[in-house]
Parts: sequence; structure tokens; C-alpha cells
Amino acid sequence: MNRLRENEHITGYVFSAPFVLGFLIFTLYPILSSLYYSFTNYNLMEAPSWLGLGNYERMFTEDDKIGKSFQVTFTYVFASVPLRLIFALFVAMILNTATKAVGLYRSAFYLPSLIGGSVAVAIMWQQIFGDQGLVNSALSLFGIESSTSWIGNPSTALWTLIALSVWQFGSSMIIFLAGLKNIPKDYYEAASVDGANAVHRFFKITLPLLSPIILFNLTLQTISAFLTFTPAYIISRGEGGPLDQTLLYSLYLYRKAFSHFEMGYASALAWVMLVIVGILTLLIFRSSTRWVHYESKGD
Amino acid sequence: MRKVLTAVLMCSLLGSLIGCSGGNSADQPASAGTDTAPSAAAGDKKEPVKLRIAWWGGQSRHDYTLKVIEMYQEQNPHVTIEPEYAPFDDYWKKLAPQAVAGGLPDIIQMDISYLNQYAGRNQLADLKPFTDSGVLDVSDVSENALSGGEVNGKLVAMNLGVNALQTTFDVETMKKNGIDIPGKDWTWDDMDKMGAQAKEKGFLIGGFAYRHDVFFPYYLRTIGQKMYSADGKTIGYADDQAFIDYFTRYQKWYDNGYILSLDKEAQKKGVAEEDEIVLGNAISGTGWSNQFLAVANLVPDRPLELNPMPGPGTKEGLFLKPSMYFSVTETSKHKEEAAKFISFFINDIEANKLIKGERGVPVSAKVKEALKPLLSENEAKIFDYVTWAEANSSPGDPPNPIGAVEIEKLLRDLSERILYKKISVEDAAAEFRKEANAILARSQQ
Repeated sequence: MNRLRENEHITGYVFSAPFVLGFLIFTLYPILSSLYYSFTNYNLMEAPSWLGLGNYERMFTEDDKIGKSFQVTFTYVFASVPLRLIFALFVAMILNTATKAVGLYRSAFYLPSLIGGSVAVAIMWQQIFGDQGLVNSALSLFGIESSTSWIGNPSTALWTLIALSVWQFGSSMIIFLAGLKNIPKDYYEAASVDGANAVHRFFKITLPLLSPIILFNLTLQTISAFLTFTPAYIISRGEGGPLDQTLLYSLYLYRKAFSHFEMGYASALAWVMLVIVGILTLLIFRSSTRWVHYESKGD
Repeated sequence: MRKVLTAVLMCSLLGSLIGCSGGNSADQPASAGTDTAPSAAAGDKKEPVKLRIAWWGGQSRHDYTLKVIEMYQEQNPHVTIEPEYAPFDDYWKKLAPQAVAGGLPDIIQMDISYLNQYAGRNQLADLKPFTDSGVLDVSDVSENALSGGEVNGKLVAMNLGVNALQTTFDVETMKKNGIDIPGKDWTWDDMDKMGAQAKEKGFLIGGFAYRHDVFFPYYLRTIGQKMYSADGKTIGYADDQAFIDYFTRYQKWYDNGYILSLDKEAQKKGVAEEDEIVLGNAISGTGWSNQFLAVANLVPDRPLELNPMPGPGTKEGLFLKPSMYFSVTETSKHKEEAAKFISFFINDIEANKLIKGERGVPVSAKVKEALKPLLSENEAKIFDYVTWAEANSSPGDPPNPIGAVEIEKLLRDLSERILYKKISVEDAAAEFRKEANAILARSQQ
């Protein structure tokens, strides 16, 4: 009896070992060492030397680029996330009413998200917004002659990235769609009987009942927007140009680490990023008590 | 996206486990961390040796380098060589984590911008013992060419070829449009004039575009100044007027529309196919002598010519630059075998018939002589130009100090801000001095 239990234990350990080991080696150890490196001067090739808070001090006192990269990142997050969610909800509502070939539409709209972070898409975007790209050709159809390269122009470069992000609205859309399907039809029927028009129905029924889903999407999308890296890296050839207009925080961090070999400093940057994303997520959750409606609470 | 960030995070952390390269999309035939230890040989005269070699470059370079490796393996059956190659930017991002992990390839292609960084941190082996013993045969290499690979009295890198700065002219188009073709002793004022004439006919002149890290030091040399001080701890020129003069002229070209606009420039991937001369938009370009070939080969119907950079002070400004090096790494278990391969690469005539000066005009006088009759018209032009430059240039500067890569980026940023009128040239000059000195001070730590 005892031996059997022992065997069960061993089986359990063996089956959980891949995850536990993976977590320890590839998650916990890296996290802890990056925390350690953030207090050191580490150029990758020599042993790290202790700096104390030096890296953090440098971030907030000396580094001019950091302000710029914050500005770019926040512009990107605050523009792309709401736009993306609005767009996702809009499409989800249309698909919710569609009756024919809805599966096909769903897949078609979801596709951009599947190939979302890929290098290929970023390169395609580079072509579309280039000086001889699709956008300029389309504009010329309307008689607007433009030979600018949208991704090379400082005033539009970031917006091409935002457009790319909005285009990849599929995953939020699918979640919204699931949420919409869960709203009982009788609510709308009852409201119609009482004379509510479409706008009323949207704001009084759809939005409140969907709010937990919105919270979920908002949190998830905000975090992933902060971590956006690939498109900016590809479109600006790893530089964050023109004029640092696409210098997303993650790109700046990457550049410090791998172009300038300042691993310690890059680790400090990563930790500050973690704190910022943490605070922002907390704020979203705090604010949610005011606008998220849970049916089960009965309010 | 998240995956890349995780990769970045991980790379920042790995102590000694893995050599990973974040965000690297280049194909790489051999992976890092391959076992380099020789397995016991049975019956063979020489113990089998496995060498790893890494380089950066474009497709044509990969192709012929692989063939040279094959040739070497045929002659040395006990040696197996594993190649790893990537485009320039990815190459360095891959190399750094490998250095941390102690898993650098035995032979790495080295660039002058990174030489100090790697040599100063004891990643590169001293090749002196091998040149002394003759394993690395440098009997046909001039002292001048060899010294380009020395850091702190150690020969840490073997020069593979030399380049010189040059201006490319599309002579046919210039003649047809009545644009004066400047001679070898031309000046900046001639270049102004050429720009104006070209503009009038609807052509651009190839500006310096993003490579101020190359052309600004050239300009400084022409007026007897240096980019970096001899000890590499500060900026080398005393008076900001040099910066102001250089960028004021450049800004004038830009404002007059002589050179390509920045938004279009930003899109270039740096391949010859998108060169403005090839596209027929420009009558001139600037670059290293080896870069001439790819461009010239793409316009077979329009003969291009190499001309020196504008003066005054061309002779002081020009220098023979080691195009790139091969270094043997300190962690290599087969330094002598590695040196032997490098020796083959620079001295073997048959191998160099494949290489044909693609890595710069060969350093070995014998090879250079042997290749001459085999060269195409465009290749011969490069050899001739470099031969001319040998007699009309001055000794090069020591390898860039650690931090130079970051300073080059700073210079590019500032040039963009100048052209977009976000900063005055005077303020940019002051900021460059301040920031660059700060970077150098930090890098010395």
C-alpha cells in the first residue's frame, strides 16, 4: 500500500518535472539574474561589476532618449489599444448579426492576428506605406499625388505602426463575439417593445453586459501593446527612426542590450517597464469597479 | 512580440548556458554550442579537427566562401569547417551572446568598429606566434596592411583586403547632360557645383546619406584633425567649427534637393539594387572601393568610374582601410588550425580566383598580381583605384575606441535632426561633443 503511494508520488514528480524545471531554468533564473544585472555594469564579455542604483539613476537623470521612447510607447499604446478594441467590437457586432457564411468571415477577420507579430507582415507593411507603395497608389486614384514614404516620414511613421496594430484586431474580436452571443436575446426584445432604439439598446444593454469582456480585452491588449517589438524593429531596421519616432521602449531596450552591449542598463530598463505595466494594469483593475457590470452581483 | 521580449530577457540573463540571438531572422546553418572537441581518430594520420567560422555578408559572398571552404577541406581532409553566416547587423547580435557563453566560433570575421570591443575584452587570440612560425604566411603582405589588425601591440586580426573611399561617377549620363566631370583633384566647391548642375537636369548626387560615421572622420582628416583622441577617451578635434562646416554644407545640399530625401533614404535596405545610380536617379555616389563593384555590375550599359573624395586635403584624408578581418578567438581549441585556414584564404591563388577581391583588394602582393589578368573591367578599375590610393593616401587611424558604435548612431540621429530642422548645426555640434565624450567615458569603465 505504502509502496503504491510512493510510486504515485514519483509518477507525479516525473510528469511535473518538465514544467517545474522549465520554469526554474528558463523563467525564474532569468528573472532573478536580470534583477541582479540591473544593478551592475555588464557588457556581456566581462564579468558584471556592481553599480548599485547607478543604472536607475542614469535612466532618470542622464538619458534623454528614454523620455522620447516613453512618449512614443504611450502614444502607441493609448492610440492603438482603444482603436483596436472599438474596431474589434464593431466587427464583432456585425458578425453577430450575420447569418450566412459567418464562419468564413470570422476566419477571414481573424487571419491578420494569426500572422500578426510576424516579420513577413511587417515587411509587407513597409511596402504598403513606402514611397511607391499601395497607399500612395490608392491616393493617386483620388487625385492626391503623394510621393512621401509614410514609414520614413517622422510625422506619420508611428501611425503606420498603429494602423498595423489595429488591423490585427482578430483575437479581441473573437472574444467580443463570444461575449455578444452570451447576451440573452429577450433583453433586446423587451427593450424594443418598450421603444428603445438601436443606440439605446447598445448603450443600455450591450455595453454593460459586455463590460467584463471589455475589461479582459483591455488588460490583455494593453500589456501586449507595451511589449510590441517586431513591427517597429523591422520597419525601422532596428533603429527606431525616423527621428526616433518609432523608438518603442522595447526596441530601445533591445538596442541597448544588443547593439551597445549594455546588458546591465537594459536589464534596469526591463524592470522599470515591468513596474510601469504593473501599475497600469492595477489602475485598470481599480477603475473597473466603476464601469464593469457583473450580473452575478445583482447590481 | 512577447516571445521576442522573452528572448531578449533571457539573453540578458544567461550566464553560460545558451547562445541565443534575439530577433534574429537570418538562416544559420550551424547552431551555436556545437561540440568542437575532436573525437579520437582511428588510423588517420592527423587527428580530425572541427573548425567553426562565422562571417557576415550578402549572398554572393556566402556562395564563394562556401566554395573556398570546400576547396580547403579537400586539401585538408582531416579538417571539417562549419560555416555560420548572417547579415551585418544580425551577425553582431549573434556574436555577443556567443562570447558570453564562451562559444564563439574559432574564426570570426571582424570589422574595424568592433575590433577594440572584442580585442580589449580578451576575446581574440594573438596571431603573432603563427606569423612568426610561418603557419600564417604574411611574407607577401606589407607591414602597413598588417598593422591594421594590431591592438595594443598584439596582432588580433588578419587583414583580408584593403579599401579606399571613393566617389562613383556615372560618366555617360553626366556627359549627355552637360554636367562637368571633376578630376581627381576636385574640391567640395566642385561638388556643390556638380549638385546644382545635376539638380537642374533632374538628377541627384549621391550624398553621404547615413554614413557620416565614415565621411565626417574623412573630412576631419583632410583638415588635419581626428575623430577620436589618440587614447580613445575623448573626441579628437578641438574646434566644433569642423562639425559646423561639414554639416552646414550637407544641409545646404539637402535643402537644395541635391540629395535623396530622408524619408526615402530611411527605406533603403543598403543593397546595391536600390542604389540611386542603378535606378537612374543619381549621377554619383559615395562609398568604399569594394562597394563600387556591385553597383557597377548592375548597370552594364553605363560605364561607371571611381574618383577620389573631394578635397582640399584628399591625400591627408584618404587612407587604406582594412575592409574586414579574420580573427581567431581566444576560446578556440584549434588556434593553429584556424591560423592555417586564414593563411590559405589570403595566400592561395586558386581560392582567390573565387574570392576575386570581394573582401577588398587582396593584401598579398602575389595574389594581387596573379588576379590581375583575370579581372573583369569593373574589378580592374577597383584594383587600379586602390593602387592609385596607395600612393595618394596617409596612414589610417587606430581602430575605433569602444563605444564607437554608439557614437555612430548618435551622429546619425543628429544628422537627421539637423536635416529636419529640429536642431541648429551649432547646437548639434555642441551636443555631439558632450554626448560622445560621455559615451566614451562610460565605455572606458
